[in-house]
Amino acid sequence: MAETTPQSDAAQKNADRRIIIRTVGLKKSYLMKGVLTEALRGMDIEIFQGEFISVMGPSGSGKSTFFNMIGALDSPSVGRVFIDEVDVAQLTAEELAYLRCHKIGYIFQSYNLIKYMTALENVTTPMAFGGVMPDEARSRGMGLLDLVGLKDRWHHRPIEMSGGQQQRVAIARSLSNNPSVLLCDEPTANLDLHTGQEILEILQRLNKEKGVTIICATHDHRMMNICDRLMWIRDGKIDRIADRGDVHIEVGGIDGH
Amino acid sequence: MKSINIADQPWLSMRRTISITVDGIRYRLFRASVTVAVIVVAVAFLMNILAESLIKRSVASNTRERIDTSRVIYNWSAKLSSPGSQESIIIEVANCSPDSDLYRETQRFAAMNDDDMAAFQTHAQKIVFVFDFFNSLDYAKRRAMIHTASGLEILNRLRTPENMEQFKLALSRIRSVHFDMSFDELDAVLAKGPEIRKQVKTIITARRNAIAVINKTLKGKTILEKLATANGPFGDTIRQAGFIFDADQTAPLVADQAQRLLDILALEESMEERPTRQLIAQQANILPADVNVMMMWKYLDGKRFATRYLEKMQEGGLKTEGLTPDRLVDLAQGRKENAALLRAERLTLDAGKGVLGLGERLGWLLFVSMLVCGIGITNAMMMAVTERFNEIATLKCLGALDGFIMIMFVLESCFMGIVGGVIGSILGGVIGLGRMLAAFGVNFLGAIPIGDILVGMLMSVLLGTILAAVAAVLPSFKAARLAPMKAMRVE
Ligand SMILES: Nc1ncnc2c1ncn2[C@@H]1O[C@H](COP(=O)(O)OP(=O)(O)OP(=O)(O)O)[C@@H](O)[C@H]1O
Ligand SMILES: [Mg+2]
Repeated sequence: MAETTPQSDAAQKNADRRIIIRTVGLKKSYLMKGVLTEALRGMDIEIFQGEFISVMGPSGSGKSTFFNMIGALDSPSVGRVFIDEVDVAQLTAEELAYLRCHKIGYIFQSYNLIKYMTALENVTTPMAFGGVMPDEARSRGMGLLDLVGLKDRWHHRPIEMSGGQQQRVAIARSLSNNPSVLLCDEPTANLDLHTGQEILEILQRLNKEKGVTIICATHDHRMMNICDRLMWIRDGKIDRIADRGDVHIEVGGIDGH
Repeated sequence: MKSINIADQPWLSMRRTISITVDGIRYRLFRASVTVAVIVVAVAFLMNILAESLIKRSVASNTRERIDTSRVIYNWSAKLSSPGSQESIIIEVANCSPDSDLYRETQRFAAMNDDDMAAFQTHAQKIVFVFDFFNSLDYAKRRAMIHTASGLEILNRLRTPENMEQFKLALSRIRSVHFDMSFDELDAVLAKGPEIRKQVKTIITARRNAIAVINKTLKGKTILEKLATANGPFGDTIRQAGFIFDADQTAPLVADQAQRLLDILALEESMEERPTRQLIAQQANILPADVNVMMMWKYLDGKRFATRYLEKMQEGGLKTEGLTPDRLVDLAQGRKENAALLRAERLTLDAGKGVLGLGERLGWLLFVSMLVCGIGITNAMMMAVTERFNEIATLKCLGALDGFIMIMFVLESCFMGIVGGVIGSILGGVIGLGRMLAAFGVNFLGAIPIGDILVGMLMSVLLGTILAAVAAVLPSFKAARLAPMKAMRVE
């Protein structure tokens, strides 16, 4: 058994790599109708630049909450999030918008496409926010739709597409401004095996060729073959973190149970 | 390797903002149209009231003008038969403009120079102010101040110190009444009293003499009959007697109206004769004894009947010189118009008071309707915001600035405001126009202030838009401030 602890070889190996996301004592609790739900109970993690990290954990363990924190979409109750060593809490509204627009790509668990926009408009909206000229946005958007295999459905609205197709539009949208970090909340959950495989290949290529840091919540076992590290969350805490090589040995325990 | 450096997010171009907003409205067309309907109703209400009061005001002044003109004959026949009372002369002088015939004529009768006449008018106006003040009081208050005095007696009464004290005491006790003239000024008016009285008496004497000159030329005819020939030598007689009687403008008008009155009298007298009476009775299918003058006027609206009526008049041995069927129809028409004028005068009595000529009650109603509309739009926009939490949050995750979200909602509301405003103002204007035309009749078509109404429409559209924009500010603010994730959760 090769338990990964912060003192292990892997940590030594990573010491000289650049940290792109770091959390310190991250806690998040929700107060709803007098009931306090602790979604995150103190998470400390360092994510390196260019890394492909899988986040696993049972439903309700706090994966999505964690993503929102490191994606600068929500503020933690306690603790800090550093993105490229910048404290997210210190950013102005304009800087936050810039960060969300240009630097981080989000693939949401529930797609969150804009209902009244066509696939292409959905993909080009972040570009418009980022100041890309309409013509260029259009050609880039078509390229991205081509990448996810939906080139000929660019004029369809979300209701005219299947769940998997919407998921793919969401992926294309997340890539529209060439983000440095890609946050994927179960990107393959609604896709068939074949399409899921394609998406994984896209993610892998982005990671290898463009050096995009990918953080990916998933239940998909295939993710294991392409990620660098795995992280298990349970009840709002980091259960364990392991390098891919180490995990291969203990087949059957991948779900972290 | 990609690293992160952070800059400020640029603003989205206006074109793209508008296109996103319009797409959003198109997608929720039904809800948007309900909101628009609220705006339409409110703006239509506003425009309706505005159009009606504008028309009323214009009709009122038009009516007053026309009534004044139609009464020129009465003024002249009165003036040429009686010199008038002291009070009536003071009121006349106070109300006429310095370039009017009446002003110059009075000056001539009073034998004053320009300055004296101007001073005379100023004093007359002050006296009228005092008259008006006491006339506006109810009986008890008036009695407490000046006992039963009226007209010029008031001035006489106030000249004695104890009566003046009584007036001042009562004035200080009755809080609801304000006398907008200083007591010094009042004293000055009172001091001038005897002088004014003397001047007025001069005018009356001069007028009486002038009337005597005219009476000599009557030779058994009535003044009305004579005035019908005012275009001829009788006009000269009037002028020679000292009146200012313009040969080009006043004389033809007076002559025409006098002739009209004479003809009307002749026709109404013809009702006493059997043949004409029978004709009307036949027509109305009633007994001749039940026939009255109103019926005659009612039946005289067609040329065919007028011809027959004229024949019957001749049959009855009545004088019909100068009367033609066309004239008869014209006279009946004139009476109808007169009735319409009187009705219009009655309907427009309250026009022109308060803000925009609306009157207090309507102004209040309008305010409430605007308030209701504002709340309606706010509510609709609130719903739209709540409904779109998810969309707003997603847009913010994709890099939308708070300002963009706000502009998006305010713009959306503005668009609805413009559309609702245009529809509403057209609707309200047309309804108002229709209602007013129905009330006053088509012969007031010329009195409709098209320009004013168009300006009113523009104002209503603007108001609707501003109202919508203002109503959207709060919901938009709420939308813009949402944390991206908080919004995501609300389903
Ligand atoms: N806005 C919120 N208000 C109250 N409780 C919340 C809120 N968001 C998350 N939670 C709670 O926090 C916990 C973690 O939720 P989260 O969505 O992060 O789970 P997850 O790991 O993403 O689950 P899944 O795999 O089903 O997506 C849950 O117990 C949830 O009820
Ligand atoms: Mg989740």
